Amino acid sequence: MDFLKSGLKTVLGAPETGQQPSVAETVERLVERASNSTLLEDRRDACRALKAMSRKYRLEVGAQGLDTLRQILELDRADNETVNYALDTLNNIVSPSQFEEEEDKPHIPMNIGDQFTEMFIKDPHNIQLVLDLLDEYDFRVRLSAVQLLVSVLTNRTKDIQEIILDKPMGVSKMMDLLADTREVIRNETLLLLIKLTKGNANIQKIVAFENAFDRLFEIVSSEGYSDGGIIVEDCLLLMLNLLKNNSSNINFFKEGSYIQKMLPMFNIPENSEEVGWSSQKVVNVHCMLQLVRTLVSPSNSIQIISSCQKIMKNVGLLDALCNILMASGVPADILTETINTVGEVVRGDATNQEFIGNVIAPSYPPRPAIIVLLMSMVNEKQPFALRCAVLYCFQCYLYHNEISQSNLVQTLLPSSSDVSSLTSGQILCGGLFSSDVLSNWFSAVALKHALIDNLTQKEQALRVLLATNIGSTPVSLLHQCTLLLQQTTKLQSKVALLMLLSTWTAGCPPAVAAFLGAPGGVPLLVHHAGSNEHDDNECLLQGLSAFLLAICIHFNDDSVASYSRDGLRQLLVKRIGVETFVAKLSDVSRHELYNKAAKHPQMRAASPADLLLDYEFCKLFKSLEGPLIESVCQTPGRSSPEPQLEQYKSLIRQQDARLQELVQQLETVTAHAQQLQSALNDSQAANSLLRDENTLLKAQVGSSGTDGTHEHEERIRQLTEEVRRMKEELEGARRSQERSREELDKMRRDQNDLLELLDDQDVKLNEYKMRLINLGQAVDEDNVVEPEDNLSSVNNKIVDGKDYIVTPPL
Amino acid sequence: MLLFSGVGKSCLLLQFTDKRFQPVHDLTIGVEFGARMITIDGKQIKLQIWDTAGQEAFRSITRSYYRGAAGALLVYDITRRDTFNHLTTWLEDARQHSNSNMVIMLIGNKSDLESRREVKKEEGEAFAREHGLVFMETSAKTAANVEEAFINTAKEIYEKIQEGVFDINNEANGIKIGPQHGGAGSGGGAPGAGGAPPGGCC
Ligand SMILES: Nc1nc2c(ncn2[C@@H]2O[C@H](COP(=O)(O)OP(=O)(O)OP(=O)(O)O)[C@@H](O)[C@H]2O)c(=O)[nH]1
Ligand SMILES: [Mg+2]
Repeated sequence: MDFLKSGLKTVLGAPETGQQPSVAETVERLVERASNSTLLEDRRDACRALKAMSRKYRLEVGAQGLDTLRQILELDRADNETVNYALDTLNNIVSPSQFEEEEDKPHIPMNIGDQFTEMFIKDPHNIQLVLDLLDEYDFRVRLSAVQLLVSVLTNRTKDIQEIILDKPMGVSKMMDLLADTREVIRNETLLLLIKLTKGNANIQKIVAFENAFDRLFEIVSSEGYSDGGIIVEDCLLLMLNLLKNNSSNINFFKEGSYIQKMLPMFNIPENSEEVGWSSQKVVNVHCMLQLVRTLVSPSNSIQIISSCQKIMKNVGLLDALCNILMASGVPADILTETINTVGEVVRGDATNQEFIGNVIAPSYPPRPAIIVLLMSMVNEKQPFALRCAVLYCFQCYLYHNEISQSNLVQTLLPSSSDVSSLTSGQILCGGLFSSDVLSNWFSAVALKHALIDNLTQKEQALRVLLATNIGSTPVSLLHQCTLLLQQTTKLQSKVALLMLLSTWTAGCPPAVAAFLGAPGGVPLLVHHAGSNEHDDNECLLQGLSAFLLAICIHFNDDSVASYSRDGLRQLLVKRIGVETFVAKLSDVSRHELYNKAAKHPQMRAASPADLLLDYEFCKLFKSLEGPLIESVCQTPGRSSPEPQLEQYKSLIRQQDARLQELVQQLETVTAHAQQLQSALNDSQAANSLLRDENTLLKAQVGSSGTDGTHEHEERIRQLTEEVRRMKEELEGARRSQERSREELDKMRRDQNDLLELLDDQDVKLNEYKMRLINLGQAVDEDNVVEPEDNLSSVNNKIVDGKDYIVTPPL
Repeated sequence: MLLFSGVGKSCLLLQFTDKRFQPVHDLTIGVEFGARMITIDGKQIKLQIWDTAGQEAFRSITRSYYRGAAGALLVYDITRRDTFNHLTTWLEDARQHSNSNMVIMLIGNKSDLESRREVKKEEGEAFAREHGLVFMETSAKTAANVEEAFINTAKEIYEKIQEGVFDINNEANGIKIGPQHGGAGSGGGAPGAGGAPPGGCC
């Protein structure tokens, strides 16, 4: 403080009387001098003094000096030193963080930097002034200008992004700084670009267009790839920003041969085990894995995923990833993330799936990598996240691949030739019947994935026999699962078995018959479905039991006399009741874990207890819920001549209705969101007005000295209260807007799913039709045409609803 | 200026990269990227193409793409005179913000809609002659002249490179040299396979 005082004295001259001027007075005089003095030296000194005060007294300096400082950026541009003081002072005023010097000043609002930012950017020209200063080659000026931009971006990301987009060459200017040979500036620019590109697709594209990927890869390689420091991490974070959910940039990345350039990042040196992994290296590799996953994320379009997957295989990236899997000394979280990444690189691509199926682990004896992974999945001692990752990877390996599905089931069939070595089927059966609940769950879900959409394997799997005890007659896998369902007391195991059995029996009458023939199966389902316990997760058990029971009705071919279609339906109506049944089903689709699981193919379970439902099961549930209800509600005795055809027709009708319903909901929600947006805008404007007023008033209180300005304080309190209230309102409005947006998104996705499903159904329908015709069944013209009519009317609706068009995946 | 939205830029690109036509106007937001390999003079060249939005709201965004482009296709709609009348403004804008060597090709699109034609082919030719542009009429619907439009632009860029007008070591003009030895074995035609030879950007 003494230093400050003497500093001020030299600028201001000694005070006339012995009285010390108040801070506000001092600031006022400095600001006056900085703006009105004709001598450059005077203005420069005043700015230097303002800078010195701006950390401790930012309220006073900001309230009185903002305009003058801004003016200096414009008028004193020729003097680097003065401009630099002004930039630093501004940066202190708008800084998002609290200074040490401020700690003993509780009356300074936490978001003061944010408020001053708002005042500063009210005139977008001010940002232009700072952008112009980026052209200045002087080290201090350039650095300070970058830092000021970082600060205002931190406070007001969206606003500044819009302003910068509007300035000609705004983004390009910042990109040029990446080439600055002074590392400090380059690194600070990286931080700036990370903030700038966050969540703004237009800026992301311009940055990519300005050769960002080339520059970033140059830096990454010059810093030694994964062995480099935090700067490598920053480069990767920026690339992630550029690619996340930006299909145009992903396309550019892929077409620009940048996937090849990622390769050296995954080189694991021979001696990595001795050298160990520094924590920075762990972070770097983690970011690189994220980069790979961003390109092949299941939420991207199918074309993008599949072309990226092919390139990754062709340039050896998949190979490199597998090498990490097999290397020793890799930290567990890197291993986990690599497993997830490998999964997504192979998901749905037959060549890549075959490739990892053939990778041999350097274990003794040598075993396929898939086997080694599955062994970890059913090993209680392995970390939970790693076990989840293996399941995901294995699912990806089976996804849309009839060959790998068949290979798995094959290992369980009696004819399986190789009895000496451990097979994936054996591991999973072992896990299914192990005493470890998680192993039960993982194995059931893994097995289930071998049966999804694959009628052949559903039927093949019925032939699987297990020798439970030596000497006793072997039991079929399906019977054993049913038995286990009755014996286990663990909810997680029961849910897993119900998901497995539902997937197995859905669309497969022989499997239904086999299940109905298993002793105790149906009574157990009736018991659970009719139970009335209200435990949160217990309702999943009830709902899933009801679901399986309904599948047994819907896909019943009347081959088990004791449980015919009608017989079972009557049992359900009598013992459970149609309304209860429907309620139990909707309990499932309303369950929090259902919604969580349905979001993404990868399980995002934080703890083992969260593992109950899985993505593919939710998909099955969603597609069957409607038809099952219809089937159960049908009047008994009425058996249609072509049950399959009827089923699909009704499915289509229902989906048509559902689609319409969704479209309507979408409209409502969109309108609602618009209303909210405008309400939000209004209150934002009002809020900002009040806030400015508040800040100025506060400064005035400061300037008018500290003596008893009760009124002012009262007023400030009122205003603060008012601001707080407005903020809450704003927050509320924001939240509900967010909610509607989420709803909207969900509906869009649902609609997409429905569309896909419709397509599938159409194909299946035709198939069945053909089959019927081939079987010599007369299919009357009415039946042939009607489903197609439905379908095309659905499509028409979609085309008409131009505002919310969802392009079906091609 | 809404005039330039809907002249068929995105359709031209789609026809060139995917050989498809999309009858529904899917308004471009900002810009979209597309790419295709072509062969000029026996050399594999990857064209990187940025399709910009025509709507006025995106004007300042699309301006960012002039600098760093080696060529540009200036597209109007032969069935809408207003789109032709504003060409001068656009041309000035483009020239002001771009590299002075940028190759500009003038395209009169929708030539399949002869019955609704409002701009005569001769007018387009005259405008091009006056401003030193290459001219062509295309149809994104029937694919007529679409290949030629892009490939001719690329050829002109290529010639300028050969003449040494473009400094290929300077990234700022949108041209990049790939490793010359790459792509020998692995059928360089497939995107991403092998090395990326000299590329232009429109
Ligand atoms: N008949 C015909 N129609 C075309 C042709 N090219 C485009 N269209 C139609 O014109 C409309 C607009 O085409 P777009 O390519 O989306 O237009 P754009 O120039 O990209 O528009 P913005 O993205 O808004 O700038 C679409 O409905 C196309 O089907 C053409 O050569 N012939
Ligand atoms: Mg377009």
